[in-house]
Amino acid sequence: MIKVSQLLKTVSTADGELEILRGIDFEVPSGASAAIVGASGSGKSTLLGLLAGMDVASSGKIWLDGECLSDLDEDQRARLRAEKVGFVFQSFQLLPALTTLENVMLPLELAGMSDAAATAERFLGEVGLENRLNHYPTTLSGGEQQRVAIARAFARQPRILFADEPTGNLDTRTGERVIELLFELNDRIETTLVLVTHDQRLAERCQHCFNMSAGELREA
Amino acid sequence: MSHSLSGKFLVREWRSGELGILLLALVLAVSVVVGVSSFVGRLQSALLSESARFLAADLVVVSRSSLQDDWVERAEAQGLTTSLSVGFPSMTVADPDHMALVSVKAVSDGYPLRGTLQWSSEAYGQVQSDGAIPPPGEVWLAPRLFSLLDVTLDDSLLVGEAGLIVSGAVRSEPDATAAVFGFGPRLLMNTQDIPDTGVVQPGSRVEYRLLVSGPPEAVTAYEEWLTPLLGQGQRLDTIEGAQPRIGNTLDRAQGFLLLAGSLAVVLAAAAITLASRRFGERHTQYVAILKSLGAQSAQISRLYGVSLATLGAGGTLMGCVVGWGLQEGFIRALGDLLPVTPGPAGWEPIVIGVVTAAVCMLFFAWPPLRRLGQASPLSVLRADIGIEESQRAGDYVIGAASIVGLMWWYSGSAAVTFAVVSGLSVVVGLGFFVARALLSGGRRAGGFAGSIWRVALAGLQRRGRANALQMVIFAMAIMLMLLLSVVRSSLIGQWQAQLPADAPNHFLLNLAPEETPVLEGFLSERGVPVEALYPMTRGRVFSVNQEALPEWREVESEDTPRQREANFTWSDTLPEGNLLVEGDWWSADDAGAWVSLEEDFADDIGAGVGDTLSLRIGAEVFEAKVRSIRQVDWQSMRPNFYVVFPRSVLESYPGMYMTSFRLLPDQKTVLNQLIEILPTVTVIELDIVIREMRAVIDQVARALELVLAVILLAGGLVLVSGVRSSLDARMKESALMRALGAGRRTVLGTLWIEFLVLGAMAGILATAGAEVAAWALQRQVFNLNWAPTFTLWWLGPLLGAVFVATLGLWSCRRVVSTPPVVLLREV
Ligand SMILES: Nc1ncnc2c1ncn2[C@@H]1O[C@H](COP(=O)(O)OP(=O)(O)OP(=O)(O)O)[C@@H](O)[C@H]1O
Ligand SMILES: [Mg+2]
Repeated sequence: MIKVSQLLKTVSTADGELEILRGIDFEVPSGASAAIVGASGSGKSTLLGLLAGMDVASSGKIWLDGECLSDLDEDQRARLRAEKVGFVFQSFQLLPALTTLENVMLPLELAGMSDAAATAERFLGEVGLENRLNHYPTTLSGGEQQRVAIARAFARQPRILFADEPTGNLDTRTGERVIELLFELNDRIETTLVLVTHDQRLAERCQHCFNMSAGELREA
Repeated sequence: MSHSLSGKFLVREWRSGELGILLLALVLAVSVVVGVSSFVGRLQSALLSESARFLAADLVVVSRSSLQDDWVERAEAQGLTTSLSVGFPSMTVADPDHMALVSVKAVSDGYPLRGTLQWSSEAYGQVQSDGAIPPPGEVWLAPRLFSLLDVTLDDSLLVGEAGLIVSGAVRSEPDATAAVFGFGPRLLMNTQDIPDTGVVQPGSRVEYRLLVSGPPEAVTAYEEWLTPLLGQGQRLDTIEGAQPRIGNTLDRAQGFLLLAGSLAVVLAAAAITLASRRFGERHTQYVAILKSLGAQSAQISRLYGVSLATLGAGGTLMGCVVGWGLQEGFIRALGDLLPVTPGPAGWEPIVIGVVTAAVCMLFFAWPPLRRLGQASPLSVLRADIGIEESQRAGDYVIGAASIVGLMWWYSGSAAVTFAVVSGLSVVVGLGFFVARALLSGGRRAGGFAGSIWRVALAGLQRRGRANALQMVIFAMAIMLMLLLSVVRSSLIGQWQAQLPADAPNHFLLNLAPEETPVLEGFLSERGVPVEALYPMTRGRVFSVNQEALPEWREVESEDTPRQREANFTWSDTLPEGNLLVEGDWWSADDAGAWVSLEEDFADDIGAGVGDTLSLRIGAEVFEAKVRSIRQVDWQSMRPNFYVVFPRSVLESYPGMYMTSFRLLPDQKTVLNQLIEILPTVTVIELDIVIREMRAVIDQVARALELVLAVILLAGGLVLVSGVRSSLDARMKESALMRALGAGRRTVLGTLWIEFLVLGAMAGILATAGAEVAAWALQRQVFNLNWAPTFTLWWLGPLLGAVFVATLGLWSCRRVVSTPPVVLLREV
C-alpha cells in the first residue's frame, strides 16, 4: 500500500523559493493501479521521485508497504528500492557502458539473483528486443531505450512499480504490448502500479486516476 | 554485493574504456617515477665513481706513520681492492752539480685504482695512459726535472741511497691536485724500491696512502669499521672531499637529479588526480542509477574500492615494468652518448614507484570514488546535482601533505622539498585567486568582443571551477618544466663560468724579479699573452698580539690556533674575485702596516680584525695589524693568496713572482724551451686537470639535459591528460553548437580561444611559481645567486598558450570531423 499525507516539496532557485508540490494526500491500496495525469511541469515526476525515495520531501509523510520513508536513511531507502520497487524513468537512464542485456541484469545482480541473464533475456524478449541483447544504449532509438528501461524495471518483478511516461515514445502497437505487460504483472504478482502518463488508453485501464495541477493532486 | 559482481563490474568497466584511462594515468605515473629515479640513481652512482678518479680510489686511508697490516687484510677480506702509495720530500742527485728537492711518490701495482696515470717517454712527449707504473728500479720525473737535473731517458739518479733509472715523464696523476703546491716537482717510483732508499724511517716526514676501491656497500662498511680505529695523524679521504670543484659540481648535479625525481613524483600525482577526477565525474550518473536501482553506499564503495585496488596493483606492476624498460632502453639507446658507464639501479626506484602509486591511489584517486557512494540518486532526475565539493578540501590537504612527505623522503633534502613546495603553493594560491578574478573579468571584456569570444569566455566561466583546477594543474606541470630548465641553464652557466675556455692553464712560480722581462719577452715572441705578475714571498705568522703560536706538529686538535706559513703578496686593490667579509681595504697612499687575511687562514692562526700579527720573512721579523678578512674563491683558476699586504710593506722584502698563462695543446713544446732559458722556475701544468674537469662537467651537463628531457616528456603527458579530462563537456557543447548550426570556424575558434586563454593564464601562474621555486633552490640548494629570468615572463605564458591550445585543439579535432549526431549520441 502507498499512502501519502500532506506532502510538500519546495526548492530554492535563483528567483526564490519555488513550491513544486503543495500538500498532497492520496492512497493506492496494495495490488491496485493508479494513473497520474497532468500538464507538463505540474510536478508529476517530482512526486514519483519522492514516492520511490530518491528525494526527500520538505514536509509530509510517505508510507511504502508500511514503512515510512522519512524514518529511513538514504541506504535504508536504497535497500527498500532493491527489495520492492521498480522504476521506469522518463529519460530512461540506461548505463551507456553496459549492453542492453547487462542493463537489465543489473538490478537482478544487485539483488543477488542467480539466473539474472536468463530472466533478463526473457523480459527483453517480452518487449521485443531479443535481437538487441548485445547492443549498447547509445545505438538504440528512443523507443528502444524506453523498452530496455521497462524490461529493467519489470525483470525484478517488484512489489511496487513506478513508471514515468512508460509509453511516451512508443508507437500504438508497442505501447499496447507494454500496457499488457504492466497489467499482467499487476494481475500475476499483485504489483502496485503508479503510472504517470498522457496516454488516455493507459489511464483508463487504471483503477484510480489522479489529476495533477500546479502541484496539487485530485482524484479524477 | 558479491565478489563475482565486482569482477563483472570490473570487466564491464574495462571494456567501456573508462578504467583504461585511469590505468593509463597510473602506469604513466609509476613508470615516470620508476624510470626517472632509476635513471637518476644509475647516473648518480656513475657520476660518483667518475669523481673517484680525482682521489684515485673510492676511499683513501692517509697516515703519517706506516699502516697496520690488518687494515689491508681487512679490506681485502671484504672484497675491496687496495694499493699503497707513499709520499715524502727528498733530495735527488743526478750528478754533483745537479740536484733538486723533489716530492717523491712511490706507488704499487694497481695504482691508480680509479682514474688514469698519464705519462710520456719524453719530457713533453705524447701522453700515454696504459695503466703502467714505474717498474722497480726505474723512476718517472716531472717534465721540468729533466732540465733541472740535466738528465735524459736512461740516465740514472739517486733517491736517498737507491740508484734508479729515468724511464719516463709523469704528466698527470689523478690524485695530484691536492699536492699541486707541494714540495717540489714530482718523482714517481715503485714502492718496492723504498727500502733501498733508506729515506723512509720512523720520524721522517712521510705520508702513507692506502687506496681502497670496490662495491659501494663494502666501501661504506670498511669506512665505518675503520673510522673509530684512526689514531693521531691518520684520516680518511672520501670522494666528496677529493676535489672541491668537482665535489661541488657533483653536489649540485645530485641536487638537480633529486629535484627532477621529486618533480616526477608531483607530476605523477597530478596525472592520477586528473584521471581519477574525470573517472569520478563520469561515474556520478552511473552511481545515481545504481542507487535508484537499490544499490547501497557501502556496496558502491566496495565496488569501486575493489576496482581501484585491482587497478592499482595491475597499474603499479605495469608501471614498474614500463619504467624499468624505459630507463633500460634509454640507457641502451644512448649507448656511447652517455657520459659515464651507468651503475646499477638497485631496488629503491621500485619501492619509490610503489609507494608513490599507493599514496596517489589512496589520497588522490580514492576520495572522489569513495564519495561516489554518497552521490544522491536524485541526480538521475536532475543532472545538476553533483558531489559535495566542500568535502574535497580535506582530501587535498592530506594528499598534498603525503606528496610533500614523498618528495622529502625521495630527495632526502628539506631544502629541495621546500623550494618545490613553495613554488607549487604560489601556483595553487595565486591560481584559485587569480583564476576566478580573471574568469569573471573575462565575461565583461567578452561583452565587447566578437561572438566567438563571447561564447568562448562564457564557456570558460560556466565551467569556472573545473577550469580553475585544470589551469592549476597545467600551471603546475608548466612550472615544473620551467623550473627544471631554469635551474639547468643556471647550473651549466655557472659551471662554464668556473672554467672559462680562456682560463690560464699553466702557472709559473719562483720567477726572480730580474727574470720577469726575460719571461715577458719570451712569451710575447711566441704569441702567448701573459697575465698579471704577482709578487710572492714565503713567510710565516708566528704570533698574534705578542702571544706565540705553537707549531703545527705541537698541536693535537685541528681547532687550536697554530703557526702557519704561506705565500705573501702585496696589492693595493682588493684582489679580483675576493670578497671582503670584515674590515675594509687600504688605499694606495695609506702607508700603514696592514695585512689582510683569508678567512680560513685567520681561523687557523686565531686572529681577527684589529689583531697584531708578528711575521717572519727569511730572517726578518716585522709586525702588521689585521685590516680585513677576505673570502677567496678557490674554485677560480686565478692565483689566490692567504695573506695580502699593502705594497709599501712588502716591497722591501726580497721576493719572487708568479704568473699564469694559457698554452694551447700544440704550444706545449714552448715549455721545453722555457725551462732551458729559465731553469729555476717552477711550471705547474694544469691543462690536463682542467681538461679532465671540463670533461666531467660536460658529462654531468649532458646527463642533466637527458633528465630534463624525460621530465619535459612527463610534463607534456600531464598536459595531455589535463586537456583530455575536460574533453567530455567541451565535446558535448561543441557538438551542440554544430547541431544548432555553428560553422566549423566558429566551433574551432571558440575552442581555440578557450584553450589559449587557459594556457596563457596557466603560463603566467607557472612563471610566478617557477621564479619563487628557483629563488629558493638557488639560494638554499645550489648556493647560486638568483636573478629573475626575464625571458620566462613572456616565454612561459606564450609556451603555455601555444602548447595547451595546440593540444586542446588536437584532442578536440573530432568535433569538426564527426557528424554532430554521432557525437551527441556518444556523450
Ligand atoms: N530542483 C529543482 N529546482 C528548480 N526547479 C525544479 C526542481 N525540481 C523541479 N523543478 C520544477 O518543478 C516543476 C515540476 O517538475 P516535474 O519534473 O515534476 O514536472 P512534470 O510534471 O514531470 O512535467 P513533464 O510532464 O513535462 O515531465 C518544473 O517546473 C520544474 O522546473
Ligand atoms: Mg516529468
